[in-house]
Amino acid sequence: MDRRTFLKASLAASSSLLAAPALVRNAWAADAVSLYGVKSMSGAFASYGKFANMGSELAIKQYGNLLGAPVRYTTIDTEGNAGKAVRKVQEAIQQDNARLFQGCTLSSSALAVGKEVAKVNGVFMTPAGADELTGVECNRSTFRWSAATYGAINQTVRPLIELLPKAKRWYTITPQYVFGDALLSNAQAIFDEKGIEHVGNSYHSLQEQEFSGYLTNAMAAQPDVLLILNFGGQSTSTLRQAVNFGLHKQMTILVAWSAGLDQFQTLGSDVIEGVYLGAQYWHQVDTPMNKELVKAVKDAYGITPNYPLAADYIMTKVMLDAVKTSGGVSEKTISALEGLTYEGPTGTETIRKGDHQVLKSYYLLKGKAASAMKDADDLAEIISSGRSFPSEDAVGCKMG
Amino acid sequence: MLNVYLFQVLNGLGLGMIYFLISVGLTIIFGLLNFVNFAHGAFFLLGSYLCYTVVTLTGNFWLSLFVAPLGVALLAWITEQVLIKRAYHLPHTFQILITLGMALIIREASIMIWGPIGKSVPTPAGLDGVFRLGSFAYPEYRLFMIVFAAVIGLLLWFLLERTRFGALVRAGSEDTETVSLLGTNIFKLFSLTFALGVGLAGVAGVLSAPIRGAHPFLGEEVLGIAFVVVVIGGMGSFTGALVGGLLVGLVQSLMTTIWPQGASLMIYGAMAAVIMLRPYGLFGRS
Repeated sequence: MDRRTFLKASLAASSSLLAAPALVRNAWAADAVSLYGVKSMSGAFASYGKFANMGSELAIKQYGNLLGAPVRYTTIDTEGNAGKAVRKVQEAIQQDNARLFQGCTLSSSALAVGKEVAKVNGVFMTPAGADELTGVECNRSTFRWSAATYGAINQTVRPLIELLPKAKRWYTITPQYVFGDALLSNAQAIFDEKGIEHVGNSYHSLQEQEFSGYLTNAMAAQPDVLLILNFGGQSTSTLRQAVNFGLHKQMTILVAWSAGLDQFQTLGSDVIEGVYLGAQYWHQVDTPMNKELVKAVKDAYGITPNYPLAADYIMTKVMLDAVKTSGGVSEKTISALEGLTYEGPTGTETIRKGDHQVLKSYYLLKGKAASAMKDADDLAEIISSGRSFPSEDAVGCKMG
Repeated sequence: MLNVYLFQVLNGLGLGMIYFLISVGLTIIFGLLNFVNFAHGAFFLLGSYLCYTVVTLTGNFWLSLFVAPLGVALLAWITEQVLIKRAYHLPHTFQILITLGMALIIREASIMIWGPIGKSVPTPAGLDGVFRLGSFAYPEYRLFMIVFAAVIGLLLWFLLERTRFGALVRAGSEDTETVSLLGTNIFKLFSLTFALGVGLAGVAGVLSAPIRGAHPFLGEEVLGIAFVVVVIGGMGSFTGALVGGLLVGLVQSLMTTIWPQGASLMIYGAMAAVIMLRPYGLFGRS
């Protein structure tokens, strides 16, 4: 071999080698769809993230092959921290070419992650509650399954007013930040419309865990209904302490945004008995898909599905369906989701095209007495359900 | 309106006694052993979980009030023998690192044993009613806690100030070598003191369980309050823990009526004010 031939051969070989990773990557990308579950697996919201991840994993397992290969599922642990969530999602986008994301419990995380995913025209579906996600901060890539604050208040406060026509004096306990204020303003609009006297409100900080002082304020106002507008650990503490103070015997208590089964299990029937509770999902909802889900979760994990599990299950499934329809992860996946109608755990659900909000039911439950429970998870009964969403014009969403 | 403030004062005093109970173990360990225990909240958490387990298995809350603190104290004694006693002579930063690590281990172990979902402990029968005063109500269980905390406080004062054990521990904390030369096994005394301080966190954990339940992040919440109380009262001061606890309880309770959204913030505001006026706390020594 002469020098010239050797150089040509070397150049050709090195070019091939340099191109190989790209070829391998492209071949891999064509083989398997990758979905990233953005979950709070550790930190203060780990209990939520654990069940949410179980939901996604079950959906992936049930799906089997998608476009000829099993779906690759990777869990990203947000540690319940918006900053860490964004950094890890950025890494997945830059290093692994990730485009499909599902999860984010916290609204702050969801808003930030949604913006990152939108920069690369990916798809992100979340259960987070902030109105902005499908409102003024909406974008082409972000979809939201859960009903926002408007729906939660309209499907709990309105029916309770109708159930208790003589209860004219309402007191509220509210966490002072965007989510709490949104719930409060929606409730006040209904109070004004229905002639309810809002006899007082106690704001509290996001760090608060001792609610005896706020409950004393509520007692002083002598309301007919105590409306609790915080959520998670704070609503658990507020409700438990309200029952300690005997408020459930003095007035009706409504928790507008409960976490559902896992929260009720934490509190126990002696605390939630007779208390009204708003919920995004309840395992006893009588829909064909929910019955299948309850059975599948019992078979797979031996438990009854709760809200995080059900929510992340259906979102993962819907996203994979959209990838299948669009023949791969692309801009077309977004189009496939827009306007999509499917059978979800709450019945027939539709993704509204204008703001990417899933139109689904929200539930008003009432805690059962221990003696009325058929099994350990039969902690509440459904009092009413329905859909309430502000019109597309009213949410302020302008897709970029 | 005056009634609300009066009731908030009553509620604040009750809250203060609960905070005293939470923080007194922490301040005893610091005052007598000069050891900073960042795992105090985690031992509190363990007390709550053990209470839940005993109540679930036996249905007897009072048994848990005896068994759970003993279990926590036993674990503390073992930890002290294996790890803590090697850190008494180290700077506080090392002690903080060691005990923070312990707190994380206890928290994660709790998640493994009891799961990530919080647990509830029912209020013991006979104390599940409320004491009514006009339109106000105060839980009988909280009244019991106030009385119980006061009794614990008196017993502790007697133990530390009026017994040979207390005198030896106080002397040992001032001059370890001299007390050792007089024939006292000072390290055994320190082990018992550490177990006592941590056992008190266990007592507080059990008593708080019917009010706060038990969940994996309870320890961090409680540790924050305990340190505020100890800093206000003065690190290592028994009286300081009582006065600091009552002050924090009163500030928090009254502020929920005056400025509800700032109630938590004002606890730290009170701490900052005390530090500015008395850098070592109300009853602390330089």
